[in-house]
Amino acid sequence: MKTLRVLVKTIASWMSSHKPRTAVLALVLMFTAPWPAKAQIISPCCALLFAGLSSIQSTLIKVVGGGLNQILGVDKAMQQFQQAVVWPQNLVNQARGLVGVLQGNFNRIQTLMKIPVNSATLPVSQQLEQVLLSRNPNQIGQTSGAYTALYGPVPQATAASPQVLNMVDMTDAAAQAAMKRAIEIDALADLELQAANQLNQSIQAAAPGSAPIIEAQADAWLIRANAYTQSATADLMRLRSIDLANASADIKMGATNTTNLRQALANLLQHQ
Amino acid sequence: MQVVLYTIFLAALTWLVVTVQNRRRLVVMTLAAVMAVTLVGAPQPVQAQMGIVGAIQAVLNVINGVIHTALTAINSVRTAVNNLQQLVVWPQQLINQARAQVTQMIGKYRNLMSTIFKINLNSATLAGPRALEAIIRDHQVGNFPALTAMFTNNYGAVPVATSASAGDRAMSDMDDALTLDNLKTLKAADQATDIELQSADAIETSSSQAAPGSASFLTATAITSAIHAQALTQKLLAAELRQEAARLAHRNTLRKENATNTTHLRGVLVNLLQHQ
Repeated sequence: MKTLRVLVKTIASWMSSHKPRTAVLALVLMFTAPWPAKAQIISPCCALLFAGLSSIQSTLIKVVGGGLNQILGVDKAMQQFQQAVVWPQNLVNQARGLVGVLQGNFNRIQTLMKIPVNSATLPVSQQLEQVLLSRNPNQIGQTSGAYTALYGPVPQATAASPQVLNMVDMTDAAAQAAMKRAIEIDALADLELQAANQLNQSIQAAAPGSAPIIEAQADAWLIRANAYTQSATADLMRLRSIDLANASADIKMGATNTTNLRQALANLLQHQ
Repeated sequence: MQVVLYTIFLAALTWLVVTVQNRRRLVVMTLAAVMAVTLVGAPQPVQAQMGIVGAIQAVLNVINGVIHTALTAINSVRTAVNNLQQLVVWPQQLINQARAQVTQMIGKYRNLMSTIFKINLNSATLAGPRALEAIIRDHQVGNFPALTAMFTNNYGAVPVATSASAGDRAMSDMDDALTLDNLKTLKAADQATDIELQSADAIETSSSQAAPGSASFLTATAITSAIHAQALTQKLLAAELRQEAARLAHRNTLRKENATNTTHLRGVLVNLLQHQ
């Protein structure tokens, strides 16, 4: 520290005694010090940079801009095609309008199917008819009672041969089952009509992309409806099979009865 | 490096300024030093310029290489998708062809089938049956009382209480009732069938103007129409089931009565033989 102080003092005394030399040193130091260089517009560096950036700009315009414009052109063509040919708004609205018109037709059909057709005039037949036309599955349980009240019970065991009793009971069973199935099918058909109306209303509010989903559900309902139709047809066939079997049984019993009668007559003649 | 050289020259100059003996030498030495320091301190930009050129070239290479290739590829894919949609999936020509086919089939079949369907089938010759036949085929649902009257006119009324047993009267009433029920149901069903045909015509006409994107609406509503048609068929089947069941029940009741009558007759015969 002391040495430094002595050095400073020595330099100061030298500077005061050699003012011209000190001035020269100061000037040299001032003029030759490496000051930061100011930007020069026309320097080779800037010119190179300018040329490079210009080149990048033109390349971006040509390569990137051109490429993107081509893609944009293709996309615009696709958009135009899809809007004008595939999903035209006016035709979509027109189709929705038709769905609304058909909804009116469905409502008319539903109203027609609900028109009362009851026609019986006597209490016993009115009761059975009311059950049969009820379209209410909860009334299926009342079918047998109303049926027996009208068509009579199976005769007692002493009143007919076992074959006849079996035939009568089987025929009653088939007829009652068919009547019960008719109530069931009526109720199912009503539910199908309701579901179809709901589906049709959904279609009116659907988008072109969501309509196929409703369509798929409607297809499932159609399959279900076909199954119920087949079931009703099967019951009808069962009914006709029993009818045919009855006709055949009548022939068989007729043959047996004829044989028995012939035997009885022969016995009677022998006794005389 | 430049700073080190500058420091060395400055130190040497200072030493010379301090130690020089006369003014003339001081001036010469100062000028020489200024020249030397200026040379030492001159900027050396060559290396920096070379770095900018390389960077610019690298950017250009990226643009002309990777980006250009990627954009070309994207454009190719988009063009291919566009071609696929326009030439394979939804070709305008085939769309027009399908529409034209719908129109052509409407022209070919609709009126022909409608005419066939509307051929008059009435065949009765006498007044009573002709009136009944006309009313059961008129597709109207507002004239059920007239239907009942004409039915009774042709087939007679249920016997009065003094003319038949209660069982026979009830069974006859039930037979008539189910017949009339079904005739009424058929009149309603005929009208519903007419509405179904109108719906089918409307869907077909619309499909002649439909676009691929609107056809799904028509398909969906056509399916719901088919569900309605199935429900209607089921209603008719239910009516037929009731009718067939009643017919079978009727015959079965006769069989029951026969059994009862036979038993009764056997008893009478046994009594008769015993008395002889």
